[in-house]
Amino acid sequence: MSARTRPRRLSSRDLRTILGVTSALAAPFDLMTMLGEVVAAAKQVLAAERGSVWLHDAATGELVLEVATGLKPVRVPFGVGLVGACARDRQTINVPDCYADPRFDQGVDRASGYRTRCMLTLPLIDHKGVLVGVMQVLNKKDGVFDADDEALATALAAQCAVALQRVRMTEAVIEGERMRQALEMARDVQLSTLPATMPALAGYDVCGTSRPAELTGGDTFDLAMVERGLLVVLGDATGHGIAPALTVTQMHAMLRVAFGLGVDLDAAYVQVNNRLAETLPPDRFITAFIGLLDPATHRLRFQSGGQGPILQFRAATRDWATFMPTSFPLGALPLQRVRPAVTLTLDPGDILVLLSDGFYEYENANGEAFGEARAREVVFAHRDAPAREVVAVLERAVDTFAADAPQRDDMTAVLVKRDRSAAESIRFFARTFEALPAIFEFTSGEFARQGIDARLLATVDLAVEELFTNMVKYSTGTDARVRIGVTGIAAGVEVTLTDYDVDPFDVTKAPDVDVTLPIEQRRPGGLGLHLIRRLMDSVDYEYSEASRESRITLRKTFAGA
Amino acid sequence: MFAIDKSPAGSIVISGRLDAAQAPVAQAFLDTVDGVVTLDCRGLEYISSAGLGVLLKTQKRLLAAGGKLRLTGVSRHLQDIFGYSGFDQLFEIEPAR
Repeated sequence: MSARTRPRRLSSRDLRTILGVTSALAAPFDLMTMLGEVVAAAKQVLAAERGSVWLHDAATGELVLEVATGLKPVRVPFGVGLVGACARDRQTINVPDCYADPRFDQGVDRASGYRTRCMLTLPLIDHKGVLVGVMQVLNKKDGVFDADDEALATALAAQCAVALQRVRMTEAVIEGERMRQALEMARDVQLSTLPATMPALAGYDVCGTSRPAELTGGDTFDLAMVERGLLVVLGDATGHGIAPALTVTQMHAMLRVAFGLGVDLDAAYVQVNNRLAETLPPDRFITAFIGLLDPATHRLRFQSGGQGPILQFRAATRDWATFMPTSFPLGALPLQRVRPAVTLTLDPGDILVLLSDGFYEYENANGEAFGEARAREVVFAHRDAPAREVVAVLERAVDTFAADAPQRDDMTAVLVKRDRSAAESIRFFARTFEALPAIFEFTSGEFARQGIDARLLATVDLAVEELFTNMVKYSTGTDARVRIGVTGIAAGVEVTLTDYDVDPFDVTKAPDVDVTLPIEQRRPGGLGLHLIRRLMDSVDYEYSEASRESRITLRKTFAGA
Repeated sequence: MFAIDKSPAGSIVISGRLDAAQAPVAQAFLDTVDGVVTLDCRGLEYISSAGLGVLLKTQKRLLAAGGKLRLTGVSRHLQDIFGYSGFDQLFEIEPAR
């Protein structure tokens, strides 16, 4: 800064100008507008013909001049030229005669055709001492820039520095907000691809859920009826955030398209893998289980690219079968072909359990992982509960195990449960009381075989006997055998008695017995139906005119007991 | 399976399942007893309305002659059946211990 003999006081007019500029600087919040305001203010206050503002790029140490939209900005390193020297030394440089100063780059004038006479270059430093940039003003009208101009410019520069810094921080916040909104959108897209309702499949109970660790997750799952059966998918992309979320969403969509078109499992696997391998960056891939269940044969064929363990609870032996992945993760490398899919068979009561790493590898405060053994224990303990409940219990078990440890990975579960009850067991009995021992042998045998709670047997036997003996006593015009069927249902049993070639007689309409009468007025009859009504959850009667068949359906469950 | 017998102590021991097929057997036996008759039901697993009818008929006959049936050792399940049928008002019933 040049020496002064006498400090000049800012005139009120100058002050008004600076304050006016300052309040103008307070208004706009996008960077380009702000730069324009700064340049306009400098020109006005300093009576300069031209001005420019260079911004300091802290990452590269360069000074950057935004020339115009669409054109690349000019970049000058620290220490180079007047701008770079000013930034490096944090000193104002006043050059009254540019062409006499070796630091001045005459090339710019030659290119633009403008003649720079004098130039004032000063650093823009905010209240915290951060170098925000460098301001330059050129060609003072009627003369050169003097010490008074330097003082004015310094006052203005301080305001400009603060204003520019505020704008840059605001833009960073807005960018952050835009980022957050982009993540929200990615999440919405991803969640919208997950099945909203679980497919209803006769003989099966299926459920899938996904709980992301952050706003978006890298996991996906699918349960959907397609041409070849039930599609079962569990996918886990490396990483969190938008990219993995969109990657698994992409895979989800491709699988739906492929199977929707009836493509074979192995072919679909190869195609989807190869498509992903083309588009994913080298360090990204998706571990995925992709299976098709044929509900008629109860066979599930699957390919698994690195997704495991694959657990099957087997109800008959009360043990577990474990399957390993069949291939490496999807999207890692292109495949020409793949080894044939693995087949597993679901017997009544069996459960296929697919869990992503977020379950198995959830660590508690001691660094211990939840693990496969605990997962098996939980499923085993709740093996008779609906699939939805088992999934909920698994999540709760992990949360309890983890205590306060945070969820670092997405937790996704897919359960495919084959219903416990086998088809109805049926037998025919001759119309005589002498068939009763055989009937009781049948019911007790079925209870044992189907795993129906034995505590229900005595009351069920009573109901069956009463109805059977009624048929024998009252439908005497036929000698057809009576058909009795036993089916295990959730928490209980359903029994049907069917009689053939008979007139209708709706047992459910028979009058109740008055059990409060004194003994002299009590009659032995009617007690059977009276007891059935009280002991069974429900008794239904159907009669078919066409076939002259009557059927009584009894239900008894533990909830109703 | 079903059995009904006189015990050395003088009570009647009834055991197994008293269903419609066995009711005539039970009835035939109980037709021969008189006075205050203790029916030890500890071994009785099952009774249907046919069996209830046998007990009812027997009770009516005994009461008319100044006697009665006492049912002892009655299981929880049988208590329910007697309750629903109102038999707990017609018979002296002692639950199983």
